[in-house]
Amino acid sequence: MKTSYSELQLDALRELANIGSGTAATALSSMLGIPIDVSVPSALALPLADAVDAAGPADSYVTAVLLPIFGDIDALVLLLFPPEDAAILCSLLGVEADTEVGLSALGEIGNILGSAYVGALGTMTGLELEPRPPETVTDMVGAIVSTVLATGAEATDVALMLDSDLIVEGTECSLSFMLVPSRDGVGELLSRLGLAG
Amino acid sequence: MGELAVSGTSGHLLASIGLGSCIGLALLDGTRPLVGLAHIMLPNSNGDADAPAGKFADRAVPTLLEEMVAMGAIRSRLHAVLVGGAQMFSFGGTSGLDIGRRNEEATREALALAGVPVRAAATGGNKGRTVRVHVETGLVTVKEPAAPEFDLYATAAKAGRTR
Repeated sequence: MKTSYSELQLDALRELANIGSGTAATALSSMLGIPIDVSVPSALALPLADAVDAAGPADSYVTAVLLPIFGDIDALVLLLFPPEDAAILCSLLGVEADTEVGLSALGEIGNILGSAYVGALGTMTGLELEPRPPETVTDMVGAIVSTVLATGAEATDVALMLDSDLIVEGTECSLSFMLVPSRDGVGELLSRLGLAG
Repeated sequence: MGELAVSGTSGHLLASIGLGSCIGLALLDGTRPLVGLAHIMLPNSNGDADAPAGKFADRAVPTLLEEMVAMGAIRSRLHAVLVGGAQMFSFGGTSGLDIGRRNEEATREALALAGVPVRAAATGGNKGRTVRVHVETGLVTVKEPAAPEFDLYATAAKAGRTR
């Protein structure tokens, strides 16, 4: 079982995440009509327990949009909206947060961002990647992230998380973006980039 | 996640915060302040001996039992409380099955195999949970989103019957 990645491999994955989140930011920007900044993404290979901690305090509440990806590789794209940020995004869209419409709007943002992200990854790597309809859940960070990791990383002790932040210009609003590939998926991504093994 | 702990120190509290599909398995002696808690993530280790002992139900149950007994618990008195095993997303993952339910089933099987009765459970559903186990009183509390924390189980242990 491969549980560690070289710096070069992590750099390459970070670059993938960078292009993916850049594309996603462009999509969000045109949806909101506001410039969006992208932070430099991090590629973290972490033991599962640490991966949950990396996502934020386990008992804090977030709205999460989960986009399952199938195709040449399986992966999960997870977007986390802390409550204040969810409220700002909803108000930018002219809907009320914490309502069915608000949640649906966040789900749609997640769908657009996730699809843009996955589309960019597919174009870069030549992999067929197909996003499934998003699911929106509001719950504890720990419960959401641990379930995503248990589902996506069944046979591994190390989770690879590609984590980027999108910042809506002029607001305090940022949202966190995570790609959790299945274990085989990481290998396939790396081999497409010529960095297998 | 994947961890387990045993405590016999009065005043201590063992907790698993943010259980989703994971199972928080509490073992209690009932007659003395001695509790154990495992944060089980997946049902079967499939012989993977290198994984953290608490990660898989089939290994977490015997390991936690052994550690409790090593701390002085009487095996025949041990009983279990289960929390978690929710289905957070309707999407089932690579296995196509509800991992929360599989975790609960595997944990119950392993407990039955070890002859440990389950006295209370707050499992299933689609909400995350936090479980806290109070060493001194054997009180097990559960917190779900948008609801007050509630007492799931209280053992008969009295603070005065310790030592």
